[in-house]
Amino acid sequence: MLSKVTGFALIGLEGVPVEVETDINKGMVSYDLVGLPDAAVKESKERVRSAIKNSAFNFPVNKITINLAPADIKKEGSHFDLPLAISILKASGQLTGGQDFVLLGELALDGALRPVTGILPVLISARDKGFKRFIVPATNANEASYIEGIEVYALSSLKDTVKLITGEQTFNPVQPRSFNSAQRQRSYNCDLSFVKGQKVAKRALEIAVAGGHNILLAGPPGTGKTMLARCIPTIMPDLTFEEALEVTKIHSVSGELSDDGIVSLRPFRTPHHTATTVSLCGGGNSKIRAGEISKAHKGVLFLDELPEYNRSTLESLRQPLEDKIITVTRAGGAVTFPADFILCASMNPCPCGNYGSSYLQCSCTPAQIHKYRSKVSGPLLDRIDLQVEVDGVKYDDLSSEAVGESSAQVKARVEKARAIQRERLSRDNMTVNANMGERQIKSYCRLDTECESILKNAFEALHLSARARSRIIKVARTIADLDFSQNIKPHHILEAVSYRSFEI
Amino acid sequence: MYTKEEIDIIVLSSFNEIPLNIKYSLFSDGNYEYKKNKLIKTLPCGVYNKVESNFSDRAYRQSVLDGLEKKGIKCVTSVSADYPETLKNIDVPPLLLYCKGDTSLLKSNCFSVVGSRRTPPDALAHCKKLAGELSSVFTVVTGLAEGADTSVLEGALAAGGKVISVLANGFGCVYPACNSSLLKRVENQGLAITEHLPHVKPQPRFFPVRNRIIAGLSRGTLVVCAPEKSGALITAEYAEEYNRDVFAFPYSLGVAVGAGCNFLIKKGAKLTENVLDIFAAYGLDFNTHEKIQLTELEYEVYEYLKNSDKAFIFEVAESLHKFPNEIIPAMMSLQIKGLAVGLGGNAYKALNR
Repeated sequence: MLSKVTGFALIGLEGVPVEVETDINKGMVSYDLVGLPDAAVKESKERVRSAIKNSAFNFPVNKITINLAPADIKKEGSHFDLPLAISILKASGQLTGGQDFVLLGELALDGALRPVTGILPVLISARDKGFKRFIVPATNANEASYIEGIEVYALSSLKDTVKLITGEQTFNPVQPRSFNSAQRQRSYNCDLSFVKGQKVAKRALEIAVAGGHNILLAGPPGTGKTMLARCIPTIMPDLTFEEALEVTKIHSVSGELSDDGIVSLRPFRTPHHTATTVSLCGGGNSKIRAGEISKAHKGVLFLDELPEYNRSTLESLRQPLEDKIITVTRAGGAVTFPADFILCASMNPCPCGNYGSSYLQCSCTPAQIHKYRSKVSGPLLDRIDLQVEVDGVKYDDLSSEAVGESSAQVKARVEKARAIQRERLSRDNMTVNANMGERQIKSYCRLDTECESILKNAFEALHLSARARSRIIKVARTIADLDFSQNIKPHHILEAVSYRSFEI
Repeated sequence: MYTKEEIDIIVLSSFNEIPLNIKYSLFSDGNYEYKKNKLIKTLPCGVYNKVESNFSDRAYRQSVLDGLEKKGIKCVTSVSADYPETLKNIDVPPLLLYCKGDTSLLKSNCFSVVGSRRTPPDALAHCKKLAGELSSVFTVVTGLAEGADTSVLEGALAAGGKVISVLANGFGCVYPACNSSLLKRVENQGLAITEHLPHVKPQPRFFPVRNRIIAGLSRGTLVVCAPEKSGALITAEYAEEYNRDVFAFPYSLGVAVGAGCNFLIKKGAKLTENVLDIFAAYGLDFNTHEKIQLTELEYEVYEYLKNSDKAFIFEVAESLHKFPNEIIPAMMSLQIKGLAVGLGGNAYKALNR
């Protein structure tokens, strides 16, 4: 007898429907699984056999042939267990119906349903392809509850699944949840008001977030660079639901989703400096996985101790920093992941770390400092609009007791500045100043003669490289937006120039 | 064209087997004849044979001259017309100077400015400005190291002045390599000299020896920054020995990079805060009353900086009751106008007007 049920395979972040066809014939006892299954799918045989047996059904003692169609794409992951089991039960006549469900889930030997990764992207693609009813493991219920217009049943065992399909027992579909409530429940662990002093760096962070600029923090050890970086997500505008879904998709596929099923806070990723190119950009042999830069999508990628990273690894960031997406190509195919993040890097100003420190003597020669700084390539530094030195003061030493601004206050200003930018750049399909190209700079960032002459003097006095020019103008535009100023004024330009002075 | 005497010196200098001190002694008594007998006594047999067979060989002599000309190197020997009197008065005058650039500068009015490679940023800024002002009267002499030397050269070149850079290596191996473009500018606008053959790499012992030329060329020497043990101090010592004037920047108590300067002042060097102190020593006048326009805020910030040794942006902002984002542009403007200098870590210091 022949049976068909529907499962889903994931290619990158895209779900593809897979028909699971089972045919049971008389003959030598065998179990053949065809249609490019990977190891996890092949191994499912033993799980499926035990789960069926322990759920008080019979595993047919016949020649079983199972085909996963379309046969030309690779099927990966343990979520094929459930469709395989149901398909076998149907083919052996122990069950009828169930064609209108999409089945996802891993089976335990006792027939319980275990959670699987990638539920969210599968549900979204399936909905877009017209599928309406789904059965998923109970633990994945939260993740599934944010998608509207579908009927999802979160069940805890194979038995329950059979009961639902036969109509023996009724189950309630998962209740849709609103994103806002999830967002309200969680908050960041840090706040800008916790960082003592560092007013210049805080100001620079505000500008960076407001304009979507990348930022480099340079300073002696122990001056609070990491703490400052951790505050960046707290001053970014809240994730919108669409953004949250995009981010959750990536985290869901990587199996890094927390219990509430959706990423409601801006991601903050801190790969260690031993990270490889593949771990940063994404890759993998059979299954192409998202890298750190995609997991930092809509959030912050923090590279602590920038010069310690492998140079070629850092160079690989150049293209995604420009394009905001990364296409990972392997022999098995190409997958495109989004990678729209703010890069925040930190480094010591010199090998001994004490350059600019108020309490320790720097023992480096200019040549050593130059060599250390040149470990970070020019083209990469070029994509980092703001290069800021943090105050060389230990924060225990700060006399000022005044508590600084909270993240919420800064965030309010950032949101206003972003609204101005969105409106101005809407015609060019951009949202923040950092994305402007030469054409937009020409039309939106006109400089009057006074600003031009200041910029010219600054280049002469500070020996800035010519390619810094458009970066400075973009940052000046953001500063003007924070100031609600229609035009770029001299003090905007001067402030923007000061955020390039590290390279001198 | 070189005279026969000059060519003798150039050819003899081309044998790098002969140590420099022997080359000096051969010509020390004012008799520039090539002394075969003296050589035999001082050189190992193999080297002597090589020198002996090549020295009078026409083809060899021509090839040495051609080689130097091809590299664009002009030679000024101790018997040349361009050789300055100032150098003849030192204890071991260089026998031969390999030059690139305008050799007439050797006889001009020279003043040297030297300092450590680890000169702090504020001293560098002073030094750059001062070199520019000095170059209106003097040819500014220095080395080619990073730090002070680089600032001196850049300051003087930017002001359109004349400079001489004395190297401790041959022209073929520029040290430090990162200054090779600066050296090109020096060659075009001033003069670069060395007493080493083009292929000679720098060695630590060459630097103190080179310093005697810097001191010897100049009427006076300014030390902008020197820790207790520093090449700049050696230059100052030579200058004193040759009866030239020594000037030095003053430093605060306990500043290690300035200990050598303070030591010089104790010994009688002239304390120097600006170019007027130097010009006064030579009876020169200098008009510094160039008005720099400052906004009200810039003026306030500048006054605050002048009254503190080193000020962070947040300190300035707090004491002037302003936001940091108001102070940052003012500070940048002061930097561009050459009235403030960043010390790293968002700390700044005022420079004299």
